[in-house]
Amino acid sequence: MSTGGVDPITLAVIWGGLQSIAVEVGTTVHKTAYSEQAREGQDFSVAVFDPQGGMVAQGPYSPGHMGAMSFAVRNALAAHPAETLKPGDAILLNDPLLGSGHLPDFFITQPAFVHGRLIGFVVNILHHTDVGGQRPGSQGVVGIFDYFQEGLRIPPTKVWKEYEEDPGLIGIIAANTRTPEKVLGDLRAQRSALRVGELRLAELVERYGVETVLASMAEILARTEANMRAAILDIPNGTYPFEDLLDDWGPGTDPLRVAVTVTVKDDTVEIDYAGSSPQTASGLNSYINYTRSYSYAAIKCLTDPYGPMNEGALRPIRVEAPLGSFLNPRPPAGGGPRAIVCYRTFEAVIGALAPAVPERVVAASSHFANPTFGGFDPNRNRRFVAYELILSGTGARASKDGCEAMASAFNASNIPVEAQEANHPIIVERFELIRDSSGPGKFRGGSGVRRDTRFLATEGKFTNLAERQRFPPYGLFGGKPGKRGRTVINPGPNERLLHSKESSEFAYGDVISFQQPGAGGYGVPAERDPQKVLNDVLDDFISLEMAREAYGVVIDPRTWTVDEAATTRLRARMRITGTPPMVTR
Amino acid sequence: MTFRIGFDVGGTFTDFVLQTSSGELHTGKRLTTYPDPSVACLEGLDELIGRVGVIWSDLGQAVHGTTLGSNIVIERKGKNVALLTTKGFRDVLVIGREKRYQVYDLQIEPPAPLISRRLIREVPERILYDGTVLLPLDEGETRRVVRALAAQGITTIAVSLLHSYVNPAHEMRVAEIIHEEAPEIAVTPSHEVSPTFREYERTSTTVINAYVMTAVREYLRHLQDATARRGSRARLFVMPSSGGIATAEAMQRYPVRMIESGPAAGALMAAVYGELTGHRDLIAFDMGGTTAKLALIEKGKPFTASTFELHKVGFAAGSGIPMNIQAIDLVEIGAGGGSIARATMGVIAVGPQSAGSMPGPACYTRGGCEPTVTDADLILGYLNPDFFAGGSIRLDVQAARRAIEDSVARPLGLPLAEAAWGIHQIVNTNMELATRVVSIERGRDPRDLAFIAFGGAGPVHGCRLAQALGIPRVILPAAAGVTAAIGLLAAEVKFDVGRTYVRKLEDVDLAYLNRIFAAMEAQAVEVIRESAVRGEITLQRWADVRYLGQGFELNVPVALGTLGAGDLVRLRQSFDEAYAARYGYANPKEPIEVVNWKLTALGAGPKVSLPKSDPKGPGNALKASRQAYFPERGGYIDCPVYDRYRLGPGTELTGPAVIEERESTTVLPPGCVARVDDYATLLVKVQPFS
Repeated sequence: MSTGGVDPITLAVIWGGLQSIAVEVGTTVHKTAYSEQAREGQDFSVAVFDPQGGMVAQGPYSPGHMGAMSFAVRNALAAHPAETLKPGDAILLNDPLLGSGHLPDFFITQPAFVHGRLIGFVVNILHHTDVGGQRPGSQGVVGIFDYFQEGLRIPPTKVWKEYEEDPGLIGIIAANTRTPEKVLGDLRAQRSALRVGELRLAELVERYGVETVLASMAEILARTEANMRAAILDIPNGTYPFEDLLDDWGPGTDPLRVAVTVTVKDDTVEIDYAGSSPQTASGLNSYINYTRSYSYAAIKCLTDPYGPMNEGALRPIRVEAPLGSFLNPRPPAGGGPRAIVCYRTFEAVIGALAPAVPERVVAASSHFANPTFGGFDPNRNRRFVAYELILSGTGARASKDGCEAMASAFNASNIPVEAQEANHPIIVERFELIRDSSGPGKFRGGSGVRRDTRFLATEGKFTNLAERQRFPPYGLFGGKPGKRGRTVINPGPNERLLHSKESSEFAYGDVISFQQPGAGGYGVPAERDPQKVLNDVLDDFISLEMAREAYGVVIDPRTWTVDEAATTRLRARMRITGTPPMVTR
Repeated sequence: MTFRIGFDVGGTFTDFVLQTSSGELHTGKRLTTYPDPSVACLEGLDELIGRVGVIWSDLGQAVHGTTLGSNIVIERKGKNVALLTTKGFRDVLVIGREKRYQVYDLQIEPPAPLISRRLIREVPERILYDGTVLLPLDEGETRRVVRALAAQGITTIAVSLLHSYVNPAHEMRVAEIIHEEAPEIAVTPSHEVSPTFREYERTSTTVINAYVMTAVREYLRHLQDATARRGSRARLFVMPSSGGIATAEAMQRYPVRMIESGPAAGALMAAVYGELTGHRDLIAFDMGGTTAKLALIEKGKPFTASTFELHKVGFAAGSGIPMNIQAIDLVEIGAGGGSIARATMGVIAVGPQSAGSMPGPACYTRGGCEPTVTDADLILGYLNPDFFAGGSIRLDVQAARRAIEDSVARPLGLPLAEAAWGIHQIVNTNMELATRVVSIERGRDPRDLAFIAFGGAGPVHGCRLAQALGIPRVILPAAAGVTAAIGLLAAEVKFDVGRTYVRKLEDVDLAYLNRIFAAMEAQAVEVIRESAVRGEITLQRWADVRYLGQGFELNVPVALGTLGAGDLVRLRQSFDEAYAARYGYANPKEPIEVVNWKLTALGAGPKVSLPKSDPKGPGNALKASRQAYFPERGGYIDCPVYDRYRLGPGTELTGPAVIEERESTTVLPPGCVARVDDYATLLVKVQPFS
């Protein structure tokens, strides 16, 4: 194998060095951020790029930002060519087409120089709390027909020049958000992190020399690409179609079709979303960079999860979606709530490849919800905007259950109840798993999570963003789907269902209950080890009834043991002949 | 005349140090016993006390280090432990923080929660973020829940209610009810263990405390009883994870604080050797069979951190069980003698997987056929196949050669020697990155620090690692004297106390602040006095500070004495400076907020003096020569091999050289100069690699 003129040991050292820079940039954002979604939810990403704008190392954050990053940096540099940049300059953009598909994501690209020579870029992207527009949180679905309604749009613009803030631009940003303290605070976190990354990158170059580091960067990309190609070769050649439906794009609308054809040919993968629904007159559209991101992520998961993630890993993969479809909309389509689409593109690719690599795939995960709220907080005498990330379990696997309470395609953390309540007029009333929600299977899916939130706010504005309330997370190879999710206001005898993408008002004291779907199962439920079923009952993940009806396991409620004879009889009756369907919805 | 004793239980060995009233040190070593480590402790203590000729009734102080706590957690050995939460929040442990610790691995499996759902119960109550009671505690329901748990045979209950760090009233009442209903049940309320916000992390800390409580209590009581039966009247002290020492009684209540007791003792031992050789700012580097541990020591004291993660999956951050405890800030990575090397993507990768001691490196010929760092070190001529671990393990050079050929050299098209050298270098690189984490990321330049290397593989790799980092000086203590137990005797009696008083700096009520500092000081000084410290007590104050609106704090020093407005101005300045140093920019116009005010009281223990070495007879230390690989000399050269036990004080050796002792081997690269001091420590002046 070529070494690009760098000995294998130095190359490995530089490789590790670039990776640890990305990690340190991420830690700095996390520790210095102001908003709950950044400092608690970790809804941000970081990476190091080579001087040509190729991503060489990324930090362990949200993959959605990752695939988009390569394109965003190219777009930033198209507007501000590298030769016009000075040390301490940084290019900000949030344009949906040029960036990651919605306005709250601020991409910042900062060059690093050593002795006047460009040695690469440090990049981060952070989901800001609010960038103005129709709804607090800037993620409305209903009533949006273009992105001009979604908030402030920033084309590639220098936000810092030679380490000095541009007060004009900062002033415009502050004037166009409902939460200027959080947005400006998070911008400072992005700035600190980029500065730390720039310093570390310069130190690496000082130590090993410009030529060695640049040659190593090229070599890293070449080797990652070769590695990825070798991993793709392991997947049998073929054309693998898959379809899934999003519930809808607002109250009274039709489902949205995600149609994908994954073609594996030798060492390349082509992902084509032809046949997917047209773009919508709502916020619910996934710009192509975002669609690409989760398509890449799915392939990465199925091929070489521990290999490096950089430009080289993306090269063997092509992602297409018809222009004008909701997975590749034409500007100025709305895109604020596009996060809700990412599980579906990710799972469509995973589902498509299930027949090719059945031992590597997972059934559909519980869907996450990403609602936003705003209003007036009379107790603290101020306006507020907050967001929630309600994550649940992951889909079952060929040889084990899905995980309970674990992010899937979109990788972030939940916001602690105590952090959320300390700053917002919110009281969380429950945060728990939902019994009997997991998709049954030889291996079962993770459970859905329920979070009930009471608002002590006036002028309350609620923007829901949830999915899988109509079409449940699918099971694989005989595994059953998880239970559907729902959103309810004031749960109890007088509860009212809320639509998954509804924009509505709420009154002081109202409780909104997010009840997330359960993840899909894998394999035939009647083949599940009865002891595991018993344990699930003892731990209250499932009820006695579900043990009997879904799994054919009869448990004696006096002794809390499995009634072996009754179980054998019941399972004999449940036995199906023939191969179970690959997908059960 | 009283004497002191320190004993430390490690995974393989239990180490003992006895210091007589005249300051003389005696050491002992025994294999750790399973499942009851106190067997080896007592046998070793009896043996050492008998050998030195002192009597139990003269024992003045016993200090113990143990990994018992973390073993119980990792092996899931805790029993009959339940958790009580606020109604609606029983899944706080199961849900955790939900982030994937490996982004792209669909097969991840995080460690199971310590308490299964069937042993988690809810009580109706609710306190808000500002401490107001929204829903009073339902005492009747609490009693019913406690009775049911008692009937199930529960012996320990962790109680973690929302916002208890602001208002602990409900947790205190629940604890009282448990005492009333089931006095035999031990209780751990979260506000006592970790009075900090973020319910998952606080609950996790509390649950670990409860989980190890019974076993730790039984173990410590058994030790105390057994030593008392032998005539001892001394108090038993235990080293908490933060270093220092605390009474066994305190540790029985807060055993989570001693979860990493053993490694803390190792870092303190490094500090002792640093002090002896005139180096107070150093990096402690401990490389064993499976991992390497690094810690930064500044002004003679190891750095500490306020969070710690136990039982990580593959060393991945975020995969383990989090704890809010003060712990020596150790960076641990999968780099040891048993770390497995392989060829991947055209380069050599080493670890974090380890062959451990079973099957062990290929050269052990115990069934391992993957090449390891030890195999590479053998091929490079650094290790002696007939004198590894004092000759107790015979190393098979052929087996090492085959393993490296098959898995690294041939796939990469490298000659054997270069492949072995590559493995040696790559494991050094991994450790180098970890070293940078403990130094540069904490704002310290490694080139200003000394490097102290120990553990079985530490002295083999220490000088090369120092070369790579530009560290000018390496300290290699003689392994025979190196026991973490020395760190136990060197520890100061230390007590940390803190109060959460969240205020914008300009809103801080100085009178109130002075009152809480005075109260903390009185409490801390009393604890130290109780620990029989007669000398001077040193106080330190700290504040956890952030810009208003942030979620994480930086720790900055606070002046002693009665605080005035000027002290707060200085606090502001030190925060901005610390922030700029760590994060690139300060924001002096932004308001700051102080979250916690902390105080540490330190009482100095008696000084530890090490025994001077007693060489068997200097002059004939050169015992052989063999071919060893030094690339700066063009490859394999004839390299002198010395017997460490015959190197007299003042001896100077210039590399290339290999120095053998029973527990380890020192590799001195070309140009590096080692001098032997009075304690048989090798002080190495490092020659930059050329």
